[in-house]
Amino acid sequence: MKKYLKLVNFEFNRVVKLFIVLLGITLVVQVAGVIIKSKDYLNMANEKINEDLIPKAQFLTDYGQFSFLHIIRSLWFVGPIALCAAGVAFYIFLIWYRDWVGKNIFVYRLLMLPTTRFNIFFAKISNILIMTLGLVAFQLILLPLEAMVLKWMVPDEFRNDMGIEEMITSIPELNIIIPSSFVELILYYGAGLMAVSILFTAILMERSFKWKGIIAGVIYSAIAVIVFISPVLLQEFVLNSYFYPMELFVIEIVMAVIVLAASVWMSGFLLKKKVTV
Amino acid sequence: MIEVKEVEKKFGRKKILKDVSFTANKGEITCLIGINGVGKTTLLNAIMALTPINNGEILIDGEPVKEKTFEKISLIPDALTMIPNMTIEEAMEFMNDFYTSWNRERAEELLGFFRLNKNDRISSLSKGNTAKVNLLLGLALDVDYVLMDEPFSGIDMFSREEIANVFTSHLIENRGVIITTHEVNDIEHLIDKVVLLDDGMVTKEFDAEKAREDDGMSVIDVMREVYQG
Repeated sequence: MKKYLKLVNFEFNRVVKLFIVLLGITLVVQVAGVIIKSKDYLNMANEKINEDLIPKAQFLTDYGQFSFLHIIRSLWFVGPIALCAAGVAFYIFLIWYRDWVGKNIFVYRLLMLPTTRFNIFFAKISNILIMTLGLVAFQLILLPLEAMVLKWMVPDEFRNDMGIEEMITSIPELNIIIPSSFVELILYYGAGLMAVSILFTAILMERSFKWKGIIAGVIYSAIAVIVFISPVLLQEFVLNSYFYPMELFVIEIVMAVIVLAASVWMSGFLLKKKVTV
Repeated sequence: MIEVKEVEKKFGRKKILKDVSFTANKGEITCLIGINGVGKTTLLNAIMALTPINNGEILIDGEPVKEKTFEKISLIPDALTMIPNMTIEEAMEFMNDFYTSWNRERAEELLGFFRLNKNDRISSLSKGNTAKVNLLLGLALDVDYVLMDEPFSGIDMFSREEIANVFTSHLIENRGVIITTHEVNDIEHLIDKVVLLDDGMVTKEFDAEKAREDDGMSVIDVMREVYQG
């Protein structure tokens, strides 16, 4: 356990610069987005009211009040989130491959550590989770901050204030990364963890068997996905909605646990018996 | 004792190791000699469970390699296995964090022995100093066995001398050492046992001292006899 935690810490230190860059980009771009979008709206209001001489009430009826929705639906807000998601997705591969490439092949050292090789797998997957949760937590901190910037920028009568929960539920993508209930959090992040574990297994297959491993990895991933969605497929096409939704839901959770456990076991087996430097 | 028994290793269809067997004892320097590409590095990697074998068995003190084995055997590969942007000190800290067999005092002693600066970044080291850091990381572990892969390869004369001095020092004493090389000259007089490899097979295994005393032959003489006829 101690060595696992040390490995997690060590792995996190290796990604901390990328992590800070992603946080920085998110902060700068989203806050800039709030300022620019607010200014655009105020400029438009100014133009309509002072130059086109439309009464303020008429303007508000025609164009509506400015709310955080205008920002959330813009590229200024969604762009950094997409970038962070792409960054994490890229890092899922990089976290393994960087240990094999270059002049100094660090995988030698990792595999020669006097600890179970499962810990290498767990430390790497934990880091993906920490990175993801860290980025989401940062977004949660940013939201009220950005709402505050919007309040400073746009006068009361032009503004429709939204609560944080309202902001999150306003676009489905945001609701997935910041679920509104604990159960949803477990489900979404559990599914994410399962997907990452499947990818890790596929990567380790490639590292163990080279090009044959790529084929094995693709087949393994396909089988894992089919196993996971098989209850839904059966329900739809064979069983004619035999299960109640709640039953199907429980079966899906069991399937996810099976796929996750199989991926962890397979990755551990590959790391112990098949992987090559 | 390190026992390599009938080990076979294939890369695709190509057999790199064919039925390789030999033993290496604690307190002795065993030298694996063979030209490049003969399977020396693969053999060391296989002993450390860094690459799977297709057949055969490798035992360290009668047991197959498991996680705890890495507290009693260390591999010094021909390339450094630490992250380039680490300093030597950070690399030493890393070792101290993960290995109970890490001997801080010996590490400091080796720093002095090799005249290395612990604040130097690994990526900025010359080839000779990289090899020395590699030796430091492997030898500062209180392990019974040390495997060294081509420690003299491609480094300057003075660094070679310093590294060769390690073999006559207390840093090696009482340990079992397996060293691979295709340049025997630097350590010929220090070798206890020789395993000649050719085309993935052991062509001869002999006691260097015995060959010197009984047959009046140096290691190079025996090699000449085996390889040239």
